[in-house]
Amino acid sequence: MNHFWEKNLTEIREQLLLMSGLSERSLSMAMRGLVNRDETLCDSVEAEDSQIDLLEIQIDEMVITYMATHGPVAKDCRFMLAASKISSNLERIADQATKIARNAKRLNQEPLLKPLIDIPLMAQIGQEMLRDSMTAYVEAKPDLATEIVARDKSVNDIYKQLARELTSYMIEDPKTITRALNLLTVAKALERVADHVTNIAEEVFYLYKGEDIRHERGRKAIV
Amino acid sequence: MNPKSNPFAHQSSGARLAESAAFGLFRGATYFILLCATMIFGVIVVKGSGTVFKASPPFVNWTFLTASPETLYVFEFEGKKMELGDKAFREFKAARGLDEIEAESYAHSAGGIWPCITGTFWLVIGSMGIALFIGVSSAIFLSEYSQQGRMVELIRLAILNLAGVPSIVFGLFGLGLFVHFMPVVAGFDDPSTPSFPIGFGHWLNFSGWGICLASGWFTLAFMALPVVIAASEESLKAVPRGFREGSLALGATKWQAIRTNVLPYALPGMLTSSILGIARVAGETAPILFTAAYVMRDSAPGGGLLDFLGQGVMALPYHIYVISSKIPQNEFTERVQYGTALVFLGLVTAIAMTSILLRIRMRNRYRW
Amino acid sequence: MNATFETRMDTLPQAARGSQQGAPDTSDPMIEIDHLDFYYGANHALRDISLQIPGHQVTAFIGPSGCGKSTLLRCFNRMNDLIEGTRIGNGQIRIHGIDISDPAVDTIALRRQVGMVFQKSNPFPKSIYENIAYGLQIQGVRDRRRLDEVVEKSLRGAALWDEVKDRLHTSALGLSGGQQQRVCIARAIAVEPSIILMDEPCSALDPIATAKVEELIHELKKNYTIVIVTHNMQQAGRCSDMTAFFYLGQLIEMGKTEKIFTNPVQKQTEDYISGRFG
Repeated sequence: MNHFWEKNLTEIREQLLLMSGLSERSLSMAMRGLVNRDETLCDSVEAEDSQIDLLEIQIDEMVITYMATHGPVAKDCRFMLAASKISSNLERIADQATKIARNAKRLNQEPLLKPLIDIPLMAQIGQEMLRDSMTAYVEAKPDLATEIVARDKSVNDIYKQLARELTSYMIEDPKTITRALNLLTVAKALERVADHVTNIAEEVFYLYKGEDIRHERGRKAIV
Repeated sequence: MNPKSNPFAHQSSGARLAESAAFGLFRGATYFILLCATMIFGVIVVKGSGTVFKASPPFVNWTFLTASPETLYVFEFEGKKMELGDKAFREFKAARGLDEIEAESYAHSAGGIWPCITGTFWLVIGSMGIALFIGVSSAIFLSEYSQQGRMVELIRLAILNLAGVPSIVFGLFGLGLFVHFMPVVAGFDDPSTPSFPIGFGHWLNFSGWGICLASGWFTLAFMALPVVIAASEESLKAVPRGFREGSLALGATKWQAIRTNVLPYALPGMLTSSILGIARVAGETAPILFTAAYVMRDSAPGGGLLDFLGQGVMALPYHIYVISSKIPQNEFTERVQYGTALVFLGLVTAIAMTSILLRIRMRNRYRW
Repeated sequence: MNATFETRMDTLPQAARGSQQGAPDTSDPMIEIDHLDFYYGANHALRDISLQIPGHQVTAFIGPSGCGKSTLLRCFNRMNDLIEGTRIGNGQIRIHGIDISDPAVDTIALRRQVGMVFQKSNPFPKSIYENIAYGLQIQGVRDRRRLDEVVEKSLRGAALWDEVKDRLHTSALGLSGGQQQRVCIARAIAVEPSIILMDEPCSALDPIATAKVEELIHELKKNYTIVIVTHNMQQAGRCSDMTAFFYLGQLIEMGKTEKIFTNPVQKQTEDYISGRFG
């Protein structure tokens, strides 16, 4: 039976999807702004951020209203918790996109330090992860979510390798420090994006399986 | 297992002893009732069946059930002892051309009790009708319509007290009110009673109805009223309040709600309890003693409605009273006494059983 | 008050129901209560209650037992008239703008406009068909075809038609508790009221039957104004648009359900809905 309150759940779900779409677009616009050295794209990323912030507030409002009036339990209850957390992670992803756009504008004022290879790769992986995590969410595929968590490691590896590389640039020639730091900030932002996506994937897994897979290593260490 | 290790072992104590004593007392009292009832029923059934049943086919003594009471003549004829009823005795004499035969006569000891059975039947039917109509109506008024308060409580109390009035008082009340006072319409001005002209050459004479069915009906009905009203109120109360509220909330008037959603469900209970009450009242002798019962009537009441109502009847309880206390007692009257008692008992039991069976069936039909 | 209750009651709700074509006009208050004081004998059961119940919405009355919410509900169709010693001390209840305690108001006409569903489902021990047709039959409708139509329409309205259409002429008491309660709802909507009062309609039902009734309430608000008394906080949250909290015969707080349930103004309201009362 299609209960009348399913409508409220659908509304929340749709807002989340809208938010993830917007965040992903911000991220790709910021990357294009960086790669194509396009300042207007970077500006629009910054402009769109407030819309995403608004969505986060809206989703939280819907979540708390639903929890207060419907007293959800079991999956509905997890859905509420997950929706709130996913929306806040999406908001942070959008924030990182803004950060990338801001740094891109600075980088664009000077010639490139080195050809952009690793950073677009990180962004590509991060975007794929985000798309997949939303697919896992919409299509109720917790297994896909676990797989996303595994992919985070590759992004971290690229970041570490890039950091080493940029460090050596800076040691060789202190004049590169500003540009290298900006690049490093972009890379760090992308690494953070992947972390947020990982959080989302973990929430999706929790939503469908009811099991918490966060901080596996830490917990194993304690046990 | 040794007793010390068993905390649940039997222990004799004062409480246990008291329990046994109390239990024994209750048991004894119950068995005493059983004994009395068995004796009453046993004696009536054993002695009565000699009259009601026969040893040879058709086994039932139809004459006793279908004939009128007659005087029994006992005489010796040609060395043989004869017992003949009034009519048979006269035919016997006529057939032999005899004028007079030396015979002992015993009133009411021959023939049967048919007029008593029909009389009782009519009394029960009529009084049941009247008692139900008045009783159910006033019960509906008391429990559904009237404003609950001191007045209604007073009325209830009065009705309850009515149940405590001795039956002979009801009889006298009936005698005073119905037999001697109630008005009748007549074509003349009765100078001995208060009378009022009502036009068309008729007068309303307060001369009383006389000893007749109508007087008996009302007297019996009044006696049954407390039972009927109490039973009816009980049945009305047993109908869930939701039925009334449900129909009132749909815009029904109070009477519509009662008629369609209370009475149909209360009626079975009202009827069965009332029938039981009336059956018991029908066994009373005193109320009909002065109002409706005749010692002897050859024919069952008949004719037009007014004639029918204006006639007295014979009735089983009164008949038993007459034959067991108003005529000389002997072996011949005893036969009729027990026979009548058995038939009466059977009749009352049948009414009671019917109402109980009816109630069980109705209960099963309506469950909420 | 020149217009009689009958005529205005007959015309107004039709106009209100005409709004099915457009969006329901929710701004128009259906029931208005002004400074109402109500007494059970010497007991001051309702104290200075003022509130407005919007049309085509579900308004929930919540509060601990004995707080007067049911009493107030029963004021709306004057069911309290049946209880001895009750009286309105002060104030007014207006339905469609008409003071319903006016002597010119016929309770029978009023109750046809303001239907009621009770706490304990009380189908009459008659067939399902007779239960639904009852309201019309007591109005004198004998036309079989019309009755058939109304019975089907009402049962469909109560989302019960598919479950009972093959046994319309069997006893309504043979139905499950939830179905019985929906028969009572169907019975109430058969006389086409504009307002339906529900006095704890689900308190005797299991969660599945409750869900169905709640579903129904949600559907019914398109065509009717619904006031529901409930002890079940979740129920008030799930199905109502407005919530009013009563305590000791007083209206403590009334507002949009989301507001009451997420951020009530009064501490008493908060304590009650969060189960910290007393």
